[in-house]
Amino acid sequence: MGRKKKKQTKPWCWYCNREFDDEKILLQHQKAKHFKCHLCHKKLYTGPGLQIHSIQVHKENIDKVPNAIKGRDNIEIEIYGMEGIPEEDLRQHEKRLAGKDKDEPDNTDTIKVPPIVGMPPMPPLGVMTPPPMMPMTFTGIPYGITPMSLSMMPVPMMTQLRPPIPVVPTTAGNSATLLPSNPIISSGPPPTKPLFPSGTTNANNDVNSSSNITTMVSAATAISNLSATTSGSLPGNKPKIEPIAGAAKIIHPDEDISLEEFRASLPKYKQIMMPQQIQMPPMPAGLSMANFMPPPMPPGLSFMVPPTGFSPMAFNGPRF
Amino acid sequence: MTTPFGLSSTTTTNTLVLGQKDLEIIQPPDDAISCLKFSPLSIPQTYLIASSWANDIRCWEIQSNGQSVAKAIQKHDAPILSCCWSEDGSKVFTAGCDKTAKMWDLQANTFVQIAAHDQPIRTIHYIQRPSYSCVMTGSWDRTVKFWDTRQATPLKQLALSERIYAADVFGPMAVITTADRNIQVYSLDQGPTEYKKIESLLKYQHRCVSIFTDKSKNPNGFAVGSIEGRVAIMYVETANPSVDNFTFKCHRSTPQPPTNTQDIFAVNDIAFHPIHGTLATVGSDGRYSFWDKDDRTKLKTSDVINDQSITCCTFDSRGQLFAYASSYDWHKGHEGNVQTKKNAIYFRQCFEEMKPKPKK
Repeated sequence: MGRKKKKQTKPWCWYCNREFDDEKILLQHQKAKHFKCHLCHKKLYTGPGLQIHSIQVHKENIDKVPNAIKGRDNIEIEIYGMEGIPEEDLRQHEKRLAGKDKDEPDNTDTIKVPPIVGMPPMPPLGVMTPPPMMPMTFTGIPYGITPMSLSMMPVPMMTQLRPPIPVVPTTAGNSATLLPSNPIISSGPPPTKPLFPSGTTNANNDVNSSSNITTMVSAATAISNLSATTSGSLPGNKPKIEPIAGAAKIIHPDEDISLEEFRASLPKYKQIMMPQQIQMPPMPAGLSMANFMPPPMPPGLSFMVPPTGFSPMAFNGPRF
Repeated sequence: MTTPFGLSSTTTTNTLVLGQKDLEIIQPPDDAISCLKFSPLSIPQTYLIASSWANDIRCWEIQSNGQSVAKAIQKHDAPILSCCWSEDGSKVFTAGCDKTAKMWDLQANTFVQIAAHDQPIRTIHYIQRPSYSCVMTGSWDRTVKFWDTRQATPLKQLALSERIYAADVFGPMAVITTADRNIQVYSLDQGPTEYKKIESLLKYQHRCVSIFTDKSKNPNGFAVGSIEGRVAIMYVETANPSVDNFTFKCHRSTPQPPTNTQDIFAVNDIAFHPIHGTLATVGSDGRYSFWDKDDRTKLKTSDVINDQSITCCTFDSRGQLFAYASSYDWHKGHEGNVQTKKNAIYFRQCFEEMKPKPKK
């Protein structure tokens, strides 16, 4: 970068100050870290978009952008990639960069600390992202832990947060308000005693010993970009299945509805279903077919439904 | 001694003398099979029911020599999506696209409606507890209802977040999963009550769920399969979810030149062996596979059956037989619907091959 002209160098995220090689990656990062619904994992495009989605679909009011540092978590400000960043913050960021260039190379520590300190503890993904993970994708996670760390929001994760946040009492205060509002986390000690036996914790803790079962590796990138199932599917809204990046293809119709729903909507079956009166009264008992097998059963009996006209079966007599 | 069907009981031996190849059930349905279930332990003989997209539910007896005997048939007004037995084996329950569920009294051969929903009913299960019994239906109308078969109004109704895609019941546990990949576990002992919401490990649409048990046959977890050739094994209570819970890939093709792409198929059904605790999965790729979830290994994968997807599978209550249905599941849309392909139900002896491999 030998240009004198001082334009923004690398794209950076207004919410957490992270830098990226190009804007596309920045956008992916924002969608995955800041604009992702913690309830259904749908990725929105902006902070306000996430807020609206949350209210409309989950009836939950979000007032902070997830994984954002203090002062940058305003959900109402519309940031998209590098667009929408207030002038003041742009200048501030450049100054910081300029200052750093003089002293030392961009230190990853600076990136690490804000997410932990300033972030509301609710989405545990923020805690998981430091060292081992790349900004936006979930690759690089050790096999045995791959999906767990992402999708589970277990209580132990929450308690783990307390020690690393010694300095920000307000964050702890936030957590107190945020926790109860999260319907997914079964809070702290379960309200009822466990009714079902525990999983086998000692059985085969060594995940890597299994030869044939491995957790995802190649598909991890695409899976992190997934927003396959939309919440609140309205009639007529047919979400598509998120394709897998790389050399893999899911053999399934594009619409992300079940195969049964897909089939039931075909004209062949639809016309069977539609004309029927819904809520039929219980059918009269007179439907019983008089020729249900009486004892003892002779061989060679066919299904007794005249319309379908089964031919009597031919098979060797039963040997007992 | 007469059985619930009024038949004189034949041999009650459980040892089968079949060879190792798969046998075919006679007179299969004319359209895709949606659900297969063997009769419960309470009946000495072995019966198999199959529901289909041809609107019918059929019942066969599987004799100890491997013969299948066609027994009876009933019809709905629209495709049937699910079926199950009562615990005593005297009744069969069916539900499907006509938005009703029906009860088939096998001895009296009556077939009466016992439930109704606003949308097709996707799942039907019988619940038997010491203090009560009822039928549970899960529908695309986003509700789950519990029915006393003698009353027109449900005993209980639950509103879920999305359309019910799969469910399973075992003893005091029920698991239901919906279109948004939510998984809800219910405890059934004091009537159905929400027990725990579990966050899925799978990132794609859920297609099937099956409860597994611990060594004492108490349900303690479930397997859930998705359209992305993957099954998650999850324990309901575990101190170490990130260690105990895991997913594994299945029903995927081997990448071949020139494209070198891997085809990923939906997992259509999962069934656990009632004795060994190992599991079977069947998929759109037309294969079935057997797995050991504790050892985290694969026991076996079949060849492609009939060049056609396998839609459902089940074990008999004594763990002797594994049955699966070869039907087109529409995973390739219209282009895959080859009219000339027949629907078939196969079964095989499985007690030995489902045994976990001894650890070295």
